[in-house]
Order: sequence, then structure tokens, then C-alpha cells
Amino acid sequence: MNEMTLKIREIARDLLERGEVKRVIGWEKGTFFYQSTPFFAETPADTDRLIWDDYCLNNLAVYLLDFRYGEEKVALFVKGCDSRGVVRLIQDQQFPRERVYLIGIPCPGLKDAAAAANLPADSEVPLAEKCRTCTHKNPVLFDILAGPQVPAAKMAGDHFAGVRELEAMDPEEKFGFWQSQYGRCIRCYVCRNACPACNCRECIFDQTAKEWLSKEVNGTNNQLFGMIRAFHVAGRCIDCGECERVCPMDIPIMRLNRKVIKDINELFGDYEAGTDLEKLPPLGLYSADDPEEFM
Amino acid sequence: MQTFKKESIDQVLAAWAHDAVVYVPVSQAGSKEFGRWSLNTRPDFTGNTRLSPKGLMFLQTESMYSYTVTEGGMGVVLEEIDHKPARQVIVGIRPCDVQSVQVMDEVFLTKGYVDKLYKEKRDHTCLVALGCLSPLPTCFCSSMGLNPMAAPGADLMMYDLGDSYGIIPQSEAGEALIASLGGLVLDGGQVPAGNPCTLKVDTEGLTAKLQKMFEHPLWNKVNQKCLACGTCTYLCPTCHCFDIQGKNKGDEGYKFRCWDSCMYPEYTLMAGGHQPRSSKKERLRQRFLHKLQYMPERYHAWGCVGCGRCLAYCPVQVDITRFMRDVKEVAIDG
Repeated sequence: MNEMTLKIREIARDLLERGEVKRVIGWEKGTFFYQSTPFFAETPADTDRLIWDDYCLNNLAVYLLDFRYGEEKVALFVKGCDSRGVVRLIQDQQFPRERVYLIGIPCPGLKDAAAAANLPADSEVPLAEKCRTCTHKNPVLFDILAGPQVPAAKMAGDHFAGVRELEAMDPEEKFGFWQSQYGRCIRCYVCRNACPACNCRECIFDQTAKEWLSKEVNGTNNQLFGMIRAFHVAGRCIDCGECERVCPMDIPIMRLNRKVIKDINELFGDYEAGTDLEKLPPLGLYSADDPEEFM
Repeated sequence: MQTFKKESIDQVLAAWAHDAVVYVPVSQAGSKEFGRWSLNTRPDFTGNTRLSPKGLMFLQTESMYSYTVTEGGMGVVLEEIDHKPARQVIVGIRPCDVQSVQVMDEVFLTKGYVDKLYKEKRDHTCLVALGCLSPLPTCFCSSMGLNPMAAPGADLMMYDLGDSYGIIPQSEAGEALIASLGGLVLDGGQVPAGNPCTLKVDTEGLTAKLQKMFEHPLWNKVNQKCLACGTCTYLCPTCHCFDIQGKNKGDEGYKFRCWDSCMYPEYTLMAGGHQPRSSKKERLRQRFLHKLQYMPERYHAWGCVGCGRCLAYCPVQVDITRFMRDVKEVAIDG
């Protein structure tokens, strides 16, 4: 039983006993050792199931959307990446700050659960893909920290290496790459559902009667889906990597999102979504010195 | 039993590909799926595919018929679309997936309506099953009444014997497949003993108990972490819900059907706005009851075949075996 687990149970129990929040959203152990799965503690007794370990990968911020029409207060455990998701939801006016109690968890990086599932027992499990490019190990917004801050992220290498690799390809090669990726998309929409930036009350892809995008699953439509989503979250993507991690077909969605982030950095100046409650996304904000080379 | 050497697998598949499209599990960018075999293909017979083979008989997207509007909008001409189904041999399909084909046959071919689109592909399909010597940690087919080493619904049963494959015909089509191999076939070999599934769940009395649990508070808990995506339903070998939509261009177009998911919010949304399954709770309840109560009631077979794909790939680790355990443990009144 690690110290953090004991601490988060104590914090959660206290919140529920005092009735300060209706529920505490954290993680509990799943069926296999590499599964730490979202858990909703609603009674003090429930809190004995909460854990913190190397597999608490799920970004819990999205669950605030399940309660956005209610009135009760919710407590949430947030890693660095998750906390940026909460900041975004607050900035997008999807959830009021006063209704969420944030329990911050400084996170040194987690393990690759998908890899662990396929390795023999007792193997060394590599760092999760999304953690290799982490820029915020400590929560950016919190009401209480469950443990000491960890040393700030110092990424080895270029954050946009994957993007530059694609940019260097000629158009035919690049298109061929994305054809082979999105040709395999099954339109399960888990990328959208796991994403804190995807918070429309009614998603255009669910408006099937209007047919913004045909329900036919083929290469063209799948690519359109991928591109439209990348543009819809432009400027609001927190780079948490959940979309890519949960994709059942292993499509490298973050390369697309990072391309958009890179372009926005170049056009509007470096911007990291969800790190500062006061700084709105560049695409949601008019500034007199926005680039206008086309005018 | 008869066998053929593993090193002649290409010749075996080439023989079967002579007058059919052969599908084998192939590792491709990101995942292992059933793909068309050709001489350059390297089949990967380990583990299982991520997408089930249901997509080879129940296509994710397929056109149904085309239409042309005539007489200034007062008439319409409908035209059948001939899909020209080719004979197909699915090699390396696992016993769980073979059972799922049996279940899909019940859904699409019985109870008074025959689904033509499914039938034409099913009738052209030969199943060559591969017994599972070592079920994956996520496999629980034996708890759902299956034997990882037996697929009674397959045309030909294949066993990994180390340096060769054992083959036992289970139908006329299976015998024909063996006959087409000529001198590649040798006599001998013994059906090996496989390892049991490590993931087990007790399903005794499950359907009967669920029949009394429609309003049980357990449903409030089970749905909370679900993200309402379509991963479980699309990877599931027995999920068969579909939508019918049209692709229209002026005066002509075609109707197509495509997989749909009961997990999607707009799945049961009706014209006029009525929504009988208004939250995740109702939708997840529907999913589990369909697999574990409604299908056993209607077809006398589990809707779940224990392939383990949903619990392996669910983004939030919703686990049907854990759910079944919870159902066993909860108290119900009356």
C-alpha cells in the first residue's frame, strides 16, 4: 500500500464524511494488474477502493461533463495533464470552478498498460507513450495536493519530432501515410469521448439526420472525421494523449493534434492550452495583432 | 487425424485461394486483423485479431440498393445491387469467434426473416478454425460454455502441433478443402491438450437473476465510468445492430447499412425527439441484458462468447466478467 494511496483515501473519506462533495472520482484496481480504472466513490466506505499506482492513466476530467447539468459538488483526482483538462472545461464554461474540488496528484510518469498486457509477468514495463512527451507533471490547478511536487518535466528531444517527420514527406507519401491510418478507423468515437476538449452538448457527428458526415465507414469519411475533430479542438487540445492511447486501432492521432498545436504556436505565439485559467485559447480570442497575411 | 507441415502453409493457402478469397490474421500498422491472403502475406496465428471476423459476413458498411427518382419526383426506380459475393475461406478463426458466427446465424437467418445481405456472404463462407492451445489472460470462453480447443460450427478444425498443423474435417466443405491439398496432407498426429482459460466466471443462474434485476440499483454504478463510445460493440463478434442511411445526389442515390451502437446517445432517438434510453445507465443496461438475458431467452445461447475483446480494449476497463460477478453477489428483493 503506497503512501499516496493512503493519502488520497484519507482526503476522499474526509470530503464525503463532511458532505462537502457528492462524489469523489478517482481510480480503483481493475481485473488485471495493468488496469487502474475510473471509480466513483459516493460513500466513505467506497473510498477504501481508491488507489494510486503506475497505471492511473485515465484522464478523469471528462467525467465532469456527466454532471454539468447538476448542482452538486464533485471532487476529482487530477494529474498534471488531467488538471489542464479541468481548466479547459472551466474556460469553455462547461463546468463552474466552484462545483469542483480538485485533488492534485504530482505524477512522475506512468506505465504503458497496453504494453504490459502483452509482456510476460515481471517484465520491465516501459513508460506510457503519452508520458514520454509530458510537459506538466504537476497539476496546474488544485485545491489540495495529495503529495509533494515532482521535478518539472524536462523532455529529451523535440516535442514535435513526429510532426516534423511527416512534414518532411512529399505530399503523396504523407497522404499515403494518413490513408493507411484512417483507413483502419472504425468510427467508434472513443477519441472524441475521452477528450476533455470535445465538450459540445451535441456533437455534429451525432447529428446523423443532418448528415454533416455520412455514416458510411470508408477512407474518405474517416479522414474527414479525423481532420474535422482535429480542427474543432484546435487551440484547446491539452496534449494529454488520451485520444491516441484509447484508440482501439492504434491510429497516431496525436501527430495530427500536434501539427495543429505547432501551427498555432507559429501563427499566434507559443500557447499551451489549459495551463492558465486567465489565458483564453488564441482561436477564441480576437487580438489586433492576430496574423493576417492574407489580407 | 491428418496433418500438413507448417512450412507448406503458403502452398496450402494458395490451394484454397485457387477458387476463393482466403482471409488470414495479419499484423498490420497498429493491430492484427483478418486480411486477404496473397503470396506476400505473412499470417500471424498467435492470439486473436482485434476486430472480429464478423465484418467479413456482416460488413461495416454495405450498399443495399440504388434508386433514381423519376417523373418530376412522382416516381422512383429501385435497382438491386449485385455484390457478387465471392467464396471466402476464413483461416485461423478461433472457437469463440466460430460460436459468434453461430449466434449471428440465429439473428440474421431465423425467426421468420432472412437477411439477404448476410446470407449471401455466409453461404459463400468456409470456416477453418484454429484451436487455442493457450487462451489469452483476457479469454473466458470456457465460462460461456465453450471449449477453447473445439469449434463444432467450423468446416475444418486445425490444431497447432509444433512443426505441423493437424486438420479434422467437420463438414463436406471441410472435406473438400482437405481434398484440394493433395499430397501436402499426411496421416497421423493427435489432437493436443490445450491449457484452460485462466479468467473464469460463474454464469450459473445468471439469466434468471438478471430477469429480476431490471430496476436494480447496480445499474446506477455500472454505467458511471463508461464513455459511451462504440469500441465494445464494434469489436464484439456478436454485436449486430445496424443503421440504414442513404447517400443522395440530386435525383439518384443508394441506401446503405452500417454498424451502429446501442451505446451511442442517438441510437434510440426517435423522430419527434422521444428518447427511451435517455442516459448511459439505460444504454449500458441494455447492452449487458442483451448479451446475458435477451439473447439466451430468444436463441438459447449466450450473446457473449468470452472472446475478451471488450474488456481488453475498453478505454475505461468496463469488464463484463466483473459485472457478472457483481450480479452474482448482489442481493435482490423478492
